[in-house]
Amino acid sequence: MNTRTDPDTVLADLAGMLGKVVAEYGLVDAEITRETTFHDDLELESIDLVVLSGSLRDHYGERVNFAEFVAGLELDEIIALTVGRLVDHVVASLDAGAPA
Amino acid sequence: MTERVAAGGITTHVARLDATRAPDTGEPPLVVFVHGLLTDSLASYYFTLGPAFAAQGIDTLMYDLRGHGRSDRPASGYRLEDFVGDLVALLTELGETRPAHVVGNSFGGTVAVALAAWHPERVATVTMIESEPPVATWTRHMADGLADARTRLAHAEAFGWIARHHGAHTARLSQGAHRILRTTTLADDVPASRVIDDDLGALTRPLLAIFGGDSGLAEQVPHLRARVADCRTVVLAGQGHSVLIEQPVRTRDLILDWVRDHTPVAEPVP
Repeated sequence: MNTRTDPDTVLADLAGMLGKVVAEYGLVDAEITRETTFHDDLELESIDLVVLSGSLRDHYGERVNFAEFVAGLELDEIIALTVGRLVDHVVASLDAGAPA
Repeated sequence: MTERVAAGGITTHVARLDATRAPDTGEPPLVVFVHGLLTDSLASYYFTLGPAFAAQGIDTLMYDLRGHGRSDRPASGYRLEDFVGDLVALLTELGETRPAHVVGNSFGGTVAVALAAWHPERVATVTMIESEPPVATWTRHMADGLADARTRLAHAEAFGWIARHHGAHTARLSQGAHRILRTTTLADDVPASRVIDDDLGALTRPLLAIFGGDSGLAEQVPHLRARVADCRTVVLAGQGHSVLIEQPVRTRDLILDWVRDHTPVAEPVP
């Protein structure tokens, strides 16, 4: 049985979470792809990323530690962060805890 | 985890990162992080110091000050005593009884000292990062700084100028600052805050004070060392006001050492 995490499923999950975060800014129609950047495309502020971090924890549990992931990035990298890079991080975190 | 907590008449956005390893002895120390004014939020800690502290066996509590981030933004009530009251109400609501190591950046450090002065039973130690204690000269510095910010940000074209000279990220933070100044009495309230005496006699808790050598605030070092019994001061040469953002690793290590040195070693159970 294949236990690997499907990146497309993670992308869809993230799109749902981001939709809730950006809905407060009236950006409900924003299409979210792997190339979407948090800062320039979604205009998220750092405090919005904190809220997203809480959503990730609620959804995936302790295995996905977004705060630790972001703490390891430089400010320039945080500003350039794409949805795709976060998808990859989530997939890697989930697969690291799953049987091979 | 993040949550919104109703306490003291407002709803506060809170992020907690609990210790991810057991402490050597007893219960984990508690560190409370307080951010700065206008362009700041709990995110400044959540993505810098917070995870490292949790990994070192420390429970961390971060929150958005009233008017900031995702906490409520009431139209008025922005004196220092209001911010301190919010923090006391929050700790009470969360059932927190451990005296906390309270770490504050810029204005957050002033909140930390005020909490220690007015509610010493809540505080184990105080850390100021580029801050002033709440004395009379502080209110004058705040009055000047806030009046200056209000004037500059009132001109809509300032955002274009800021974007060209400091980048879009800073421009967006400035818009957030302008929103607070435009919709609240913060700029009038902060300089009208309750203060403590210049001799700092009200501060009976240990103090770690970190400064950037180029910011001007390091001039306080001799006064702090003369007035506070257990006082450690660190001046980072060639560094301006943004110590936390520009030197997070150095700042983290200084505060971790400080907390470790001020965590009592429990007696072994016989």
